[in-house]
Amino acid sequence: MKFGLFYELSVPRPWTRESERTVYNNALEQVKLADELGFDQVWAVEHHFLEEYSHCPAPELFLTACAMLTTQIRVGHGIIVCVPEFNHPIKIAERTAVLDLLSGGRLEVGTGRSATWTELAGFNANPDDTKKSWDEFVRCLPKMWTSEQFAYEGEFWSMPARTILPKVYQRPHPPMWVAVTSPGTELDAADRGLGSLGLTFGGFAEQEKKIAEYRRRIQLCTPVGEFVNDQVSTVNFLYCHEDDQVGRTVGRKMADTFNYLASQLTSVREAFPGRSYPSLGLLPQLRRQATGPDSGEQAGEGLALGGPERVLRALKRWEAVGVDRVNFLLNTVEAIPQTQVLESLRLFAREVMPAFAESKPAGGER
Amino acid sequence: MPLFGELAVERVAPRLAHLLNLDAEAWTLPGAEILQMAYEVGEATRALLPRAMHPAIPPYATWLVTRYPESPVGPFTLAQLRLMGRAGAHPRGYVLGAVASTPEAARALADGWGFPAAAGAVAVQRYHDRVSVSVTLEGDRILDAALVDPQPISGADVQYIHSVTLARLDEPAGSTPTLVQVDPHYTFHRAERGRPSIARFAAAAWNAEGLAPVHPISASFATCDTDLPRIRFVMDPEIPVVRGTRRIR
Repeated sequence: MKFGLFYELSVPRPWTRESERTVYNNALEQVKLADELGFDQVWAVEHHFLEEYSHCPAPELFLTACAMLTTQIRVGHGIIVCVPEFNHPIKIAERTAVLDLLSGGRLEVGTGRSATWTELAGFNANPDDTKKSWDEFVRCLPKMWTSEQFAYEGEFWSMPARTILPKVYQRPHPPMWVAVTSPGTELDAADRGLGSLGLTFGGFAEQEKKIAEYRRRIQLCTPVGEFVNDQVSTVNFLYCHEDDQVGRTVGRKMADTFNYLASQLTSVREAFPGRSYPSLGLLPQLRRQATGPDSGEQAGEGLALGGPERVLRALKRWEAVGVDRVNFLLNTVEAIPQTQVLESLRLFAREVMPAFAESKPAGGER
Repeated sequence: MPLFGELAVERVAPRLAHLLNLDAEAWTLPGAEILQMAYEVGEATRALLPRAMHPAIPPYATWLVTRYPESPVGPFTLAQLRLMGRAGAHPRGYVLGAVASTPEAARALADGWGFPAAAGAVAVQRYHDRVSVSVTLEGDRILDAALVDPQPISGADVQYIHSVTLARLDEPAGSTPTLVQVDPHYTFHRAERGRPSIARFAAAAWNAEGLAPVHPISASFATCDTDLPRIRFVMDPEIPVVRGTRRIR
């Protein structure tokens, strides 16, 4: 099992001139330390307009800074919103190639389609079309990275033959992933030979079932890229402290704050009924965990919060369920002081990470 | 923390419905037809939302018009304007104003669940390419709106957010402004989705000064069996619901 960091870059009100800068600087310091400690990857989301919850609309810039500060850690651009109003596919191919070059072949590419009315309406995108445009984008990207010349005629975008430059550094191309929040998206990932970038917290039984189905299905896939990425990644919170009770208490506060902020988002389904977003995805779970009957101990199942032994047990359980990678949220609205976040990382690297063996790479020559 | 509403409850208290108790019996409401139109409405609406609640991001409102062919007070139609927000982590629609098509329904909804309901005329009409609604109160047309170009969708795709009303509740210590959660159940039989269109909206008549529909979101029209259940939760309108919620049953 491999471990990484996962950034939403949440910024607490009141927003001052320095507050956003501080959040970015703290994150960069964490990434630099994580690289030194042997963490495998750092992911940054693409979100727009999500007040406090995520001030990360240009992850490629943040990740470029990460790459410049580090030598080993892989940089996960994800997810990139594969909706034409947000990102033109040519620009996606170009900027990911540049990031792969600058990072020396350390790029991972996550794809998705956004799940909030807040974001989709902000870009005047039609929620009915996002799944279809995502499907077009993920089928084009590997060809845009690898073909000498590329031309395309599709429903959502077209281009005459051009040479898209530069080409990615990794051969044949960076590993590709799909954000999995809505039920069933893990099957979309499997059918296309894409890694499952799970964005749900906790719940061993449900995840085990999903992973088993993903594993079964991906064996029969027609990959959209040059290789199959059959890795399963999930997210978790991390706060590791020598005192188990302190770790749990401080960590729960961070997790609860995150869940509470996430529950403020206006999901597509809440405002715009339709088949394209058949479930509320992540939000109902987070709402229950923030204030509902699931709050408290039950909601802590599988969370990496507490002393090293408790964190180790939780992660071993995830490993047994079939998860290959766990990406950690380290903080929310800077609820935990930066010195404690860094100490948590060091403790985790010292006491927990050695218990996990090397696992297979996601593919691609580096 | 997310932003909170900024409603000065004392300013609206005189016009609130009066709840004698929290013991209204549940209503079973089969065969209801629900027309919902959603629009983004702008940041100024925070002044209309109780301090206990968070505004939605972005702020939006729903015009919810329901024909009830059967109810304990006979057939009636209810039109509501709800400012959408969050009660803690949960999406809720705060009922700003309501018009019921019969005086009996208006009185029962106010007495039982705290709806700010006045009696008026509510007309829903189904055309080939639209479902329209007009609402008249004291001789003034206060809403002309429609769902345009309806297309079938699954009832499973429709989600109605629970409501909260603000009413005065008689308690031993006096009459206290109280938020009341109204959380019906729905069993859908059919549903359609289209574009919302609002041709006329008199904000003041809906207790919604400063609210204007600025960006259309969606409209839906569904047939379902629903209810008005007994009151389960009430909340203090002045403090965050995480601290100010009381379970009734």
